[in-house]
Amino acid sequence: MFNEEVLAEIEQAKKEYERLIEHILKKYGEKELEETTVSGIPLKMVYTPLDITKVDYLKDIGFPGVYPFTQGVTPTGYQTKEWTIRQVVGIGTAEETNERLKHLFEQGQTGFSVCGMGYDPYESSDERSLGMLGRGGVWIDSLADIETLFAGIDMEKISINQIGCSIPVFAMILAEAQRRKIELAKLRGTIQNCVIPGGEGPRFEGNGTIDIIEYCSKNLPLWNHTSISVRNIRDQGVSALQEIAFGLYLGLYTIKSAMARGLGVDEVAPRVSFFLSAENEFLEEVAKYRAMRRVWARLMREDMGAKDPRSWLMRFHVQTTALNLTAQQPYNNLIRSTIHALAAILGGAQSLSVNSFDEALAIPTEASATLSIRTQQIIFYETGIAKVLDPLGGSYCVETLTNQLEEQAREILDYLNRLSPERAFRYMEEEADEAGYQRQRAIDNGERVLVGVNRFVMEEEESVPAHSVKLQEYDPGWRDRQIARLEKVKRERDPKKVEAAKKMLAQAYRSRVNIIEPMIEAVKAYLSIGEIVQIRKEVFGSLDLSRFGGKFFGM
Amino acid sequence: MSNQKKIRVLLVMDSLGHSTGYYVVAKGLQEAGIEVVLGGYQIPREIVDTAVEEDVDFIGYRIMDGAPDILVGRLMSLLKERGVPDIKVIVGGIIPPSMISLIKGMGVREVFTPGTRIQDIVSCVEDSK
Repeated sequence: MFNEEVLAEIEQAKKEYERLIEHILKKYGEKELEETTVSGIPLKMVYTPLDITKVDYLKDIGFPGVYPFTQGVTPTGYQTKEWTIRQVVGIGTAEETNERLKHLFEQGQTGFSVCGMGYDPYESSDERSLGMLGRGGVWIDSLADIETLFAGIDMEKISINQIGCSIPVFAMILAEAQRRKIELAKLRGTIQNCVIPGGEGPRFEGNGTIDIIEYCSKNLPLWNHTSISVRNIRDQGVSALQEIAFGLYLGLYTIKSAMARGLGVDEVAPRVSFFLSAENEFLEEVAKYRAMRRVWARLMREDMGAKDPRSWLMRFHVQTTALNLTAQQPYNNLIRSTIHALAAILGGAQSLSVNSFDEALAIPTEASATLSIRTQQIIFYETGIAKVLDPLGGSYCVETLTNQLEEQAREILDYLNRLSPERAFRYMEEEADEAGYQRQRAIDNGERVLVGVNRFVMEEEESVPAHSVKLQEYDPGWRDRQIARLEKVKRERDPKKVEAAKKMLAQAYRSRVNIIEPMIEAVKAYLSIGEIVQIRKEVFGSLDLSRFGGKFFGM
Repeated sequence: MSNQKKIRVLLVMDSLGHSTGYYVVAKGLQEAGIEVVLGGYQIPREIVDTAVEEDVDFIGYRIMDGAPDILVGRLMSLLKERGVPDIKVIVGGIIPPSMISLIKGMGVREVFTPGTRIQDIVSCVEDSK
């Protein structure tokens, strides 16, 4: 980007600068000049055009909305479409969650994102739901609960994010849309779906993960059938570099698995989305999103041979990290999450969920979830950073980090690609476990600073005490009411339709057809998720519970 | 119990997923020479079964999704019912501050929340043996 003459002059000036700081640093003793990011990328004290001499603006950065999309996936960014404010909700029964959702929409939330739906493969009356129902997410037994969950919410106006990939729940959402006479092709949403090897591997015809992709690519053109949930792996303690590389690997593996079913790359890739974290190391985080966007575009176009430009776009939702939120001095987390959110927006996120300050203590209250919305609104309306696309693009430092992250993430990806999928997934798990442990050790021995935990510690009474924060309480009544509700549904549903639906679903499982359409019909008879799982179990034998929310995906 | 015998700890979780802390604690205990049985996701009834079967000295219970008072209450009464009230219980995870004294009152040895050092958990296990 600079001509030789200018670079030679800068080189000369740099030598003078180095003499200057040598003198200053001597005064400060043996201060280490070299620092690194948490990913181990070396950081210099200053970056200059000399660091990015090889960067070709049109080839490596490009205008927003133009390949390789380093500056963003759309030509106009937040100027024409604000990011989606999408706080995660999931509390109690469908009634409590519906109420919370409506409150958040009134406060300016623009996306629906609900956790807990269909995580548990049994009915609410099961012993397993004791003390559990409704605390880690909303409980759904049947279509009646989905009707309640969406009551008063315009399904056509919002984009719907299903956390987890429960197929009965997905079918219930579509059944509810049909009941409202909404054309499925108009629905916008995302399902946290991603192919994993083993168990029901991609070659297995009864693999629901690929059924979802296949069904959506034919019927739901605006639905992200895949959401590469690398954020939760990042939250186990891996680096930004690994977050990029693991995400790329998971994305490619999912696409290749769908292609093995007979779908074309351009049928699948346009609706693959990513779910990323936003961590502490600010500059590296901004570079991370840029690097990943660029390398994904290059991989899809050059390696996978995708022709449709939409297949080259890495669109992503960010949920800010929970790993660095502390139970000590909990209001500090407001500051942390704000900085994480800034990185996500400077990195061009399409959608954002800001973790609440009380998450190390309990699930968020209405008030703390509202603060997370306000954080996003303040960034959008008050700071002005959303007015410019990729405002940190062109920074000598950020461009250098972007290059380094791309290059090193590709090395990790190459390594993963040389392993069998089973081995690659095990490797990622092992890396995540080890990283989590090393991170904790670094905090314990003070190498890694966590304010309020290992530095600037205060006694409870002198800080804002955790005790004074009003927390969300668990209501044992949620379970009682949910059990009563399911009993009522079972009393009122048409037993003939129930029997027919059960038979039809079992037959569909046995014949290994794509399960989504039969499932939509089955849930309309108000079968419970517990009943559906039972039918599936009878056809397939033992049930691999890990498919309902394994450790790896942290669902 | 002889002094030579290593301390055995059963680590369990109230739900699947978000298990970073669980594995960090497991590794930390193992490095300190404590034997760890990874029980994964179990409900209180299963925890007691495993604890008896594995003949452990301690149960380390990670609670994130569940209601600590209900789950711990059930676990403690089942331990008594099964005649193994001497198995010690420590709890860790997302525990609202108001719950800590409540579940300690049920006989839980210690409650560890985010921000805990690994060494503190190791010491707690070693000291209360």
